[in-house]
Amino acid sequence: MATPTALPPLPFNPSRARSYLLRLPLFTRLVLLATLVFWLLELQTVWSVVQWGALTPSEINLGTMYRLNTYPLIHMGFFHFLLNVVALTPLLERFEAEHGTLTAVALFIGPLSTLPAGLYLLIEKGIFNRNASVVGASVWVFLLLASEAIRTFKSHPHFSLGSTKIPTWTSPLFVCAVVSALVPNTSFLGHMCAIAVGYLLGLGYLKFFVPPEKILRFLEGKLNLLGRLPHYVSVDQKTFGRYGVLPTSAPVGDRPLPPPRSVVHLQIINNINWVEDTDLMALKSAIRNLRSNPQFLFARLPYILSFICIVAGVVWLALLPLDDYSRRTYISENALLPGQVHAYFSGSEQHVFRGYKKEIESLLPASYHEVQESGVRDAEFTPVVSDKIQSILRAAGLKVATQNYEYSSSGITHQGQNVYAIINAPRGDATEAIVLVAAWKTADGELNLNGVTLALTLARYFKRWSLWSKDIIFVFPPDSKSGTQAWIDAYHDMQPASIQPLPLKSGALQGGLVIEYPFDHRFESIHIVYDGVNGQLPNLDLFNTAVAIAGGQMGIGASLQEMWDHKNDYRARLETILRGMLKQGLGYATGAHSSFMPYHIDAITLQPKGEGWQDEMALGRTIESLCRSLNNLLEHLHQSFFFYLLMHTNRFVSIGTYLPSAMLVAGNFTIMAIALWMRTGYRPRATAAVKPGEKSNDETPSDEKPSDEKSEVEQKSQTEAKDATSTTERQLALPLSLVVGLHLLGLIPLYTFNNLSYKYYTPATYAYILADILLPIFLSALLTRHTSTSTKTNPHQHHLIKSFSLLPLGLFLSTLATLNFSLSFIIGLLCTPLTFIHRIPKTTPAPLRYPLTLAGLILLNLLSPPVVLLATCAYTGTSVETVLTQAAFGWDVWGMWTQVVVWCVWWPAWLSGGALLGCSFF
Amino acid sequence: MLARALFSLLAFVALAPLISASSDYHEKLLLQPLPQSALLASFTFQGNESQQSFDERHFRYFPRALGQILRHSNTKELHLRFTTGRWDAESWGSRPWNGSKEGGTGVELWAWIDAPSDQEAFAKWITLTQSLSGLFCASLNFVDSTRTTRPAALFDSTGDHPASSNLHLLHGTLPGEVVCTENLTPFVKLLPCKGKAGISSLLDGHKLFDASWQSMSVDVRPICPSPDECVVQIDQTVDIVLDIDRSKRPRDNPIPRPVPSEELVCDTSKPYHDYDTCYPLESAAERGWSLHEIFGRTVSGVCPLAENSEDNEPICLRVPHDRGVYVSPGATESKDETGFSRCFSLDPSQPFDLLVQEQDATVQVPLDEPVLRAERTIVGHGQERGGMRIIFDNPSDTQGVDFVYFETLPWFLRPYVHTLQATITGRDGIRHQVPASQIIRETFYRPAIDRERGTQLELAISVPAASTVTLTYDFEKAILRYTEYPPDANRGFNVAPAVIKLSQDPPVYIRTTSLLLPLPTPDFSMPYNVIILTSTVIALAFGSVFNLLVRRFVSVDEAAALTSQTLKGRLLGKIVALKDRLGGKQSKTE
Repeated sequence: MATPTALPPLPFNPSRARSYLLRLPLFTRLVLLATLVFWLLELQTVWSVVQWGALTPSEINLGTMYRLNTYPLIHMGFFHFLLNVVALTPLLERFEAEHGTLTAVALFIGPLSTLPAGLYLLIEKGIFNRNASVVGASVWVFLLLASEAIRTFKSHPHFSLGSTKIPTWTSPLFVCAVVSALVPNTSFLGHMCAIAVGYLLGLGYLKFFVPPEKILRFLEGKLNLLGRLPHYVSVDQKTFGRYGVLPTSAPVGDRPLPPPRSVVHLQIINNINWVEDTDLMALKSAIRNLRSNPQFLFARLPYILSFICIVAGVVWLALLPLDDYSRRTYISENALLPGQVHAYFSGSEQHVFRGYKKEIESLLPASYHEVQESGVRDAEFTPVVSDKIQSILRAAGLKVATQNYEYSSSGITHQGQNVYAIINAPRGDATEAIVLVAAWKTADGELNLNGVTLALTLARYFKRWSLWSKDIIFVFPPDSKSGTQAWIDAYHDMQPASIQPLPLKSGALQGGLVIEYPFDHRFESIHIVYDGVNGQLPNLDLFNTAVAIAGGQMGIGASLQEMWDHKNDYRARLETILRGMLKQGLGYATGAHSSFMPYHIDAITLQPKGEGWQDEMALGRTIESLCRSLNNLLEHLHQSFFFYLLMHTNRFVSIGTYLPSAMLVAGNFTIMAIALWMRTGYRPRATAAVKPGEKSNDETPSDEKPSDEKSEVEQKSQTEAKDATSTTERQLALPLSLVVGLHLLGLIPLYTFNNLSYKYYTPATYAYILADILLPIFLSALLTRHTSTSTKTNPHQHHLIKSFSLLPLGLFLSTLATLNFSLSFIIGLLCTPLTFIHRIPKTTPAPLRYPLTLAGLILLNLLSPPVVLLATCAYTGTSVETVLTQAAFGWDVWGMWTQVVVWCVWWPAWLSGGALLGCSFF
Repeated sequence: MLARALFSLLAFVALAPLISASSDYHEKLLLQPLPQSALLASFTFQGNESQQSFDERHFRYFPRALGQILRHSNTKELHLRFTTGRWDAESWGSRPWNGSKEGGTGVELWAWIDAPSDQEAFAKWITLTQSLSGLFCASLNFVDSTRTTRPAALFDSTGDHPASSNLHLLHGTLPGEVVCTENLTPFVKLLPCKGKAGISSLLDGHKLFDASWQSMSVDVRPICPSPDECVVQIDQTVDIVLDIDRSKRPRDNPIPRPVPSEELVCDTSKPYHDYDTCYPLESAAERGWSLHEIFGRTVSGVCPLAENSEDNEPICLRVPHDRGVYVSPGATESKDETGFSRCFSLDPSQPFDLLVQEQDATVQVPLDEPVLRAERTIVGHGQERGGMRIIFDNPSDTQGVDFVYFETLPWFLRPYVHTLQATITGRDGIRHQVPASQIIRETFYRPAIDRERGTQLELAISVPAASTVTLTYDFEKAILRYTEYPPDANRGFNVAPAVIKLSQDPPVYIRTTSLLLPLPTPDFSMPYNVIILTSTVIALAFGSVFNLLVRRFVSVDEAAALTSQTLKGRLLGKIVALKDRLGGKQSKTE
């Protein structure tokens, strides 16, 4: 690896934070450690640490006195923990540095936790007679704040706000008030108790708790604590003022060994003389250190950061199913009032349902009745059926119209006739409408006879009601894939020429429900399908309403993502999330409802599942109640979330919680790209010294380098300043044109896979696998031939190519994460090797280099788009042809752009990664 | 036919003052069953007051409250409409009164105001809307400059105005206004008998506002049979289309529960017909109904003020003569010669009810075909732009239709008139793009000014026979200031219906449905607050932590030494040095 020795100026000095953390004294460290341990312990579900250690007034007796000491170390979840730790660390560090470790131990284990606790118990139980349990280190935070405030009060009694003078000792009270207002579930009383004790401490009334100095000194001397314990703050130290922290002269990276006591004393004496230099010295040493070791900043740190990003992203996703990170669903739009109305769809309506069903069945061809025995039933949507549906709707008093459409995709023609009918809202003005869809074929291609019949019966039933404030449109498309798309496109007048415009229209669509009931027996629960095209989702309120009505009102269970027995444990939740993410990531239409989503119309499909005792009337009542809820809407559904991951019918995570996961994964590419860009801007010092034309030795394994340079630091420190500014010119032409060219090349497979006839999809896939094997090697050969004329810039340009290919990848994926989280996350994970793959240095001996390169290329090829496609198809047992036909159909009809992401984002980045690795051959 | 009949009725009522120029009062109810078990009920109340007594503020048949408002706002002619629902022209034929007594959904108001200048006319108009708003409990006070237009060719004055007057026509609509009982009560109070006697006793809010379509109108105009003998005429109408089935449901049990299975009318000829399987048969018979069933009450006699008028048959029914109709004792029936209409004279002291039998329909009352069908919809999607599509369908195979198309658009909908395109579709279904000028004969366009006035577009259009003309244009949606959004911002914004006036004699008015325009709306709700709150907290926390980590606390003398090393410090040092040099010279000279 090339080792640039110069470094660009840094905006802030990370070494300060690091040195601050490294200098934390002993007791502070212990407290932080204990807090962390307790938080980690809380993550398991068997033993509730909070219940064990919280300060609960009713639980306090002689046997549970330990609670008086444990409660500050226990927290209620990650953010509670993090905020308290961040707030406590500087305060506690200051206290310990000032009073010494032993005093801090004595005070904090003793009176400073028990006193506020006692006070709290007294007031909470004795006066208010309540029983709120408290945990968290915030008690110490406020205690220390209060004592600091008293100290400030002694030096600056007021701060003035305009003309009013506010005494400084009140500041913790303000903080307490603000915290209790802003942060939910904080104990105002607990904080006030802490502040009260803090005032006492600050005013010196608690001095008698401090162990006498003699004893401390004796202990310290006898046990040689200073010598034995690292970061121990001596009793003596407090006499030297509050900032008497031992300076370190060693480089920041290496932690100093605890010096023997005598040395410490010497240093302490010197301390006063050069304490003002400490800051300057630390800065200088930090800069010197980084200058001497830029390897870390440029070459190693980005890899570490990227790796951390990826791991954190995946871990983040894995945390989501936990109770702390997900939320229970709730109805946000009050107007919906789910399940507040009685559903009357029952009784003789069932006779009508049977009549309609028999009527339609009698029109089906003989094959339908024959095959019925084998269980598979199928019948086409013939004009006769269409006419019958129309006549039934007309007889019920609806306005009926039809629409013919024709799509062709991958050499297959999809055509049909949509039948639809409108119930005009009795007093409405065609401004708003609800859609009910019953496709002749379900999303799985089954005959949806019961669904269609149910919709017909409901149409007749709904017509009698006068309470509809919105028009209700019943759509009967011949299939779930193309029919609704044609209809909804034409509804907005956005249809292609092969599709008829709609002769009959209504107002703005407010919501859609799709009914699927493809079998004859009774059902057990309702499966709700909600994914839209391109991972768009309906408003969560619609889903929640459906769950609330099915479960709460009708007593029918609801399920999602084909999780038939959902135990609501971690594993089931995670599986539900992952299934949802997979569907969202692939971005295909999961049912007739999906076509509505691009037009900002919220829609879901209701599918009865299982064998139970619920009949079609129960489904009808559910739909009636849902329609009544939608009918209540005054505004378009907007209250609840549009970006969410569902893990159970009543648990979800919203975008704010899950987004960091994909962002971190996407961010890893950006970090690497920026690091490489910065790295290419500075001439490696070693190469600068080497004569031009000579084989560059900058590729030597750089591990030895820092040690060499360290010795040189002293002598070269003067000349180094000049070297640091030796920037180089980046040679952008080749890398830029290569990366742009590769992205343009992505259009070719995009075109191929969307325009071929379906018969050629499988061979085309194999052809692209072959191309993926050959293309990187070909490209790398081209690259090395081109750049061999100027060997010096060779690694330079490789870095730039990698930087340029990762930069759009990172940018694109982070943008995509906000639109289609799952797709971004999946592609991001599949692309992770690209961050770490680079040309293997030429200096690596050939016997090692060639097998490594070969192995790398094989690995990379296993993660190429067509191979991933093949593997997924083999795993799920579907044929490649089906998947690609569906994808092309999605592109042509649904407006799906998963392919664009694959071929124009993933593939180009993959190719340039492969090409870089391939360069190692030459 | 219906329109003609109604019009003859209207003409009769209008001509009445010719016979007797003195003040008088008439009322009339016309009932006509329509297909699909609907029933049209047209109430007409007409009062006349001589101009002289009107000027002397001597109100007998004219409501005093309204008269004072008109005088105060110099309004010479007033038309006020309250409408809900849609007229289903496909099933119900052409509109009552040729559409001249209805408005677009919500409230529509237009008036001729006598004022020397436009500004003063507008000031009077505001006075008028504010006063009417109070009188009719409607939000008419929201008719501001953005909702007021001055139609050029849409409305013609129907009153006789002295040539000397300087009249200004102003027009305003409130498409989002929901018409309900609070508008009906003041409306009924304007009547001389105030709903206590006569046909107005049928006006019950519960039944009226359960109608499928409903329109109330108030028209005031001066009529001068001779130049010195003028009357001020107030014409109030209520037209409703009731669903007979729905209205017949008892008030204490209005829920349309599924009927008991034995009452279900089934097609028993079906092979699968069984006790639990039923293919429903929609009966072809005309529903039977009575006034009491439909309106929940009977007519309580005759309004005494209308008693001595010439037309003493206040209730007419349009059903074929062979339909069985029973009336309360004391009432007399007179059938007309067309075979479809009969009228009843009432006993003033007796309540009147009317019962029409359920009967298989043999003869249907012929309905007029509408002359033109119009449909206006918003097309496209997205938050930024959209399109308007207006379809005019001329059902006649022989005659073209000429009409004036008028629309007012709110200012936040910005049409691009240059994108106006016309397409003609013949009966064969083939679409031809034609230049818009071929269809549009004249254009009056008054562009909008943001937050001041809306767009006004008036087109004189002719649609050839047997064809459908589609007009489309694109528009852009403006982004409002956040205070300009109403509380229900996500519902969308109402766009007033377009008005079409067919140039016939008498003119026929058609109104399209009103539209809902979704505008780009900021998220006002919870996430917005959450973002602000979390950002504040994080900024506070981050700021303090960042300061702790990054900021260096140094003493004052150290700070000076440090700043001298930075670029800024060095520059400042140079400046100081320069100053010193200049100042040094001075000190030298001293």
